[in-house]
Amino acid sequence: MNLFQFCNGIIVWLVELVNNLWYWLGDVLPWYFGDFFTGIGDFAGSHGHIVVMTIVLESLMVIIVALINVLNFIWLDRKLSGRIFDFYGPYYVGYRIGGWLQNLADGMKLFVKEIIVPAKADKLGFLLAPVIFVGSSFLILATIPLSPNFGIATNESGEFVTAGVLFAFAAFAIAPFSILLAGWSSNNKFTLIGGMRSAAQMMSYEIPLLLTVASVVLLAGSFSFVGIVDAQHDIWFAIPLFIGLVVFLVCIAAEVEVTPFDLPEAEAELVEGWTTEYSGMRFGLFMMTSYLRGYAGGALATALFLGGWQGPSLIPDEIWFLIKAYTVFVVIEWMRWSLPRVRVDQILELGWKRLLPLAVLNLLIAATFKTMGWFSG
Amino acid sequence: MRTGRQFVRSLILGRPNTVLYPHEKLVLPQVYRGKHTLDFKKCIGCGNCLNICPNECMWLEKIEDPELGKIERPGVDLGRCLFCGFCAEVCPTVALHLTTEFELADRERESFVLSPKDIRDDAFASTFKEERQSRKLPYLDLSKCTSCEKCAEECPEMCIAMMPIEKVDKKKPEINLAKCTSCEKCITACPENALVSTEVYESYFETPEPRLLLSKCTGCSACARACPTDAIYMMEMPGSEKTLKDGKKGKPKKRAVFVFEKCVGCGRCFKACKFGAIEMPGVKK
Amino acid sequence: MWINMGPQHPMTHGLWNLRVKVDGETIVDAEPEVGYLHRGIEKICENRTYPQIIPLADRLCYGSSLTWSHLYCMTVEDLMGVEVPERAEYIRVVTLEMQRLASHLMWLAAYAVDLGMMAGFIYSMRDREVLVDLLQSLSGSRLTYNYPRIGGVAHDLPPNWDREALRACNYIETRLKEYEDLYEGSKIFMMRNVDVGLLTKEDALDLGVTGPPLRASGVRYDMRKDRPYSVYSDLDFEVCSRPEGDCFARYRVRIDEMWESCKIIRQAIQRMPKGKWRTVAPRNAPVGTGLGRVEDPRGEGMMYVVGDGSDKPYRLKIRSPIFITVSAAPSMLVGYKMADVVAIMGGLDMCIGECDR
Repeated sequence: MNLFQFCNGIIVWLVELVNNLWYWLGDVLPWYFGDFFTGIGDFAGSHGHIVVMTIVLESLMVIIVALINVLNFIWLDRKLSGRIFDFYGPYYVGYRIGGWLQNLADGMKLFVKEIIVPAKADKLGFLLAPVIFVGSSFLILATIPLSPNFGIATNESGEFVTAGVLFAFAAFAIAPFSILLAGWSSNNKFTLIGGMRSAAQMMSYEIPLLLTVASVVLLAGSFSFVGIVDAQHDIWFAIPLFIGLVVFLVCIAAEVEVTPFDLPEAEAELVEGWTTEYSGMRFGLFMMTSYLRGYAGGALATALFLGGWQGPSLIPDEIWFLIKAYTVFVVIEWMRWSLPRVRVDQILELGWKRLLPLAVLNLLIAATFKTMGWFSG
Repeated sequence: MRTGRQFVRSLILGRPNTVLYPHEKLVLPQVYRGKHTLDFKKCIGCGNCLNICPNECMWLEKIEDPELGKIERPGVDLGRCLFCGFCAEVCPTVALHLTTEFELADRERESFVLSPKDIRDDAFASTFKEERQSRKLPYLDLSKCTSCEKCAEECPEMCIAMMPIEKVDKKKPEINLAKCTSCEKCITACPENALVSTEVYESYFETPEPRLLLSKCTGCSACARACPTDAIYMMEMPGSEKTLKDGKKGKPKKRAVFVFEKCVGCGRCFKACKFGAIEMPGVKK
Repeated sequence: MWINMGPQHPMTHGLWNLRVKVDGETIVDAEPEVGYLHRGIEKICENRTYPQIIPLADRLCYGSSLTWSHLYCMTVEDLMGVEVPERAEYIRVVTLEMQRLASHLMWLAAYAVDLGMMAGFIYSMRDREVLVDLLQSLSGSRLTYNYPRIGGVAHDLPPNWDREALRACNYIETRLKEYEDLYEGSKIFMMRNVDVGLLTKEDALDLGVTGPPLRASGVRYDMRKDRPYSVYSDLDFEVCSRPEGDCFARYRVRIDEMWESCKIIRQAIQRMPKGKWRTVAPRNAPVGTGLGRVEDPRGEGMMYVVGDGSDKPYRLKIRSPIFITVSAAPSMLVGYKMADVVAIMGGLDMCIGECDR
């Protein structure tokens, strides 16, 4: 049974439980109040209300899964970087389980810090930037299913929305706007420079990203995630579109701002880049969102290139999807801790002069494969 | 290749290069300069450590000890200390050492001021092999010397010279410690046992030497009482008795005589003399 | 627009301020401001006796502290006319070269992390631990050693120390080979360093730059060969120099210097005679002057002492190489991007302790 049916079942049960209260009140109380409560009961039991509540519960479940994965990612990142550097990662917090509770400790620490807003900062922009950033990043997850049975963007019978890929990448692209807003409204020369650099980098790496996605969509013949994964049942798209996978990974790294592309938060010159003036949990939100976008990027790479949830059926499909997403993440982190930083004009040069031709080449290869009829339907 | 090996060891076998500090600790070499420790019995209270400390973080404290009586011992202020190790290097009796204890953090500055009782450890010296070199040298007890000159005859290196003491009829043997080979012939030759074989630790810092101005010396013996190594003896000057009012002869005046081999250069005689009879260039009053 | 990089900054090594005038991303002008770490060491020294200044000289540049204490002891030995026994000279050479290795490894670590490669930092620091542990077993402390004395060194080498030193040399040489592969094989590193921060030969000579930046601009000037002190005239090594004058040349000169240091340590340990390691120095200095010059890992260091017959110096003047080199910064920075500031200033190996004294 898919997620929709599962959540529907829960909501229906819950609504029936609570409706007992409303109908009882409606019966007991005199005429005006009684009608009021009966009306609430009817509204709660109506089809539209139940569907909306189901979707809310589904989103909540997917968000919780995403957040737990983000916690895992942060822990994995720190442990992996520790082992690459020849020391332990987090060790003491959560002693027996390898320091997994370190994230919770860091989160608690960030909660109790004082939130400082610079005096001359543009208050509305300053407050709005994290909201837009975090919100748009969660929005990416809206259409990515972890398996045919586990996804939000379905209708009642479980069919996925037909333009999932489009929506995911559209949400991905809102982020540069919020970064510019954050950098500019902090009233700080350094954050301004950081914000502008970051926006330039992100926008220039969107193009090869979308071209690569276009080549995948061409081969698969549909915009929906389920269709793309099903088209990979013979062979994962990573093998014919190998260049595409490489370009995709590099572009995701540039979008998520890991070294070698982390000039916007280059500590050597700009302290923390465009997040300098944010303190306390707002900064924590930015950090978390950065990893969330990494997770989203990994999930997208898995769905588009690595065959999504296809694998031997010993393990449930969702776990298989997550394993592949983690592998993509590990590859990105490995790149992060071994390479120096690229200078900003070199980043833009790399994006426009090297990756764009490669992405176009990839599109040509996909078109060739499609016309030869190897990937039909 | 080494990186590959280190990577495998670190990631797969799980043994990275870290020392998990509170649970595992590194073994420090013995020369490590940490907290001070003082041997009350060996310390003579000379104060050389005070004089050489670059940051003036030591002071002498008067203590009443049940076994040793009224003594003066140094305390140290770790808040000012550089842990340079000069105090341990210049100590003439190797009483002050620097241990390997470095976990000295505290929340209040006052807890860094360590009195001599806090750093007292009389048994520390037995826990390790002393690195400083020592020689056995003959030290003179001038009160027993009869100027018989036997030691000067016996010495094979000709290190001992009998020098006359001004205004006193006796001569005292002056030993050139740089040439002494510790053969101990002079010690066995002395009929009064005035020469004692003492273990002396090398200190390569040249310490200031005091000079006596005889004209100002009144024989008050403040310097002899102040000297921690008994290097000053008061000797009578014959022929300096004054006739008293009732015709009798008074006692002869005394003067201070220095045995420079024992002097450690602490400067306490210089500080004790109120008549300005002792000169010590470079030391403040 | 003028941008202040520093004084509060997580990644400038030491406490100084660099004001750059930026036009978009390109640097138009630069102005370094030093003096935040001035501790008045030269004035303090006028009130301390000659042995008491040795720990202070250590703290001049905490990155390579043995160099400065040796320099001070050589200066005062020149003033007092003290002759140092030969074993002490060889021990001094071994420890000086070890200090040079440790200082260059620390430079490599800081350089890597400035460019974004944290792995380089951790690896270089881990290898530096090998050397620092050796020096700790020799002198008792890890950073400010307080080991040289006027007239020699403080105490003799512990047993088996020279064998451990040779093993450390072998280990460092294998790691150096790996660093060369790691950094020069990385396209990004080369992109950020080649043709960045050009310092021409004439500019370097005019501005008084010394040390690796000078040798990276094509001038073969090394104090150890041109004005030999201690026993360097008996040892066989080469002066490392490159003609290009960019950041990569400075990086390469320092790596070559590390190879040469390993060679020198091996030769010195082999030739070390037995004997005394310290003579007693007089307490009072004669009236006169003493001058000492040494090849610091960062340039040419010099000390000048004036004695007046007492046991405290009348004046001690310290010439710090970084103070002169940092004033050459504007000529290296103009015309490059803001992201290059880190690479260029990192290539100069700034240790502000000696700059501000």
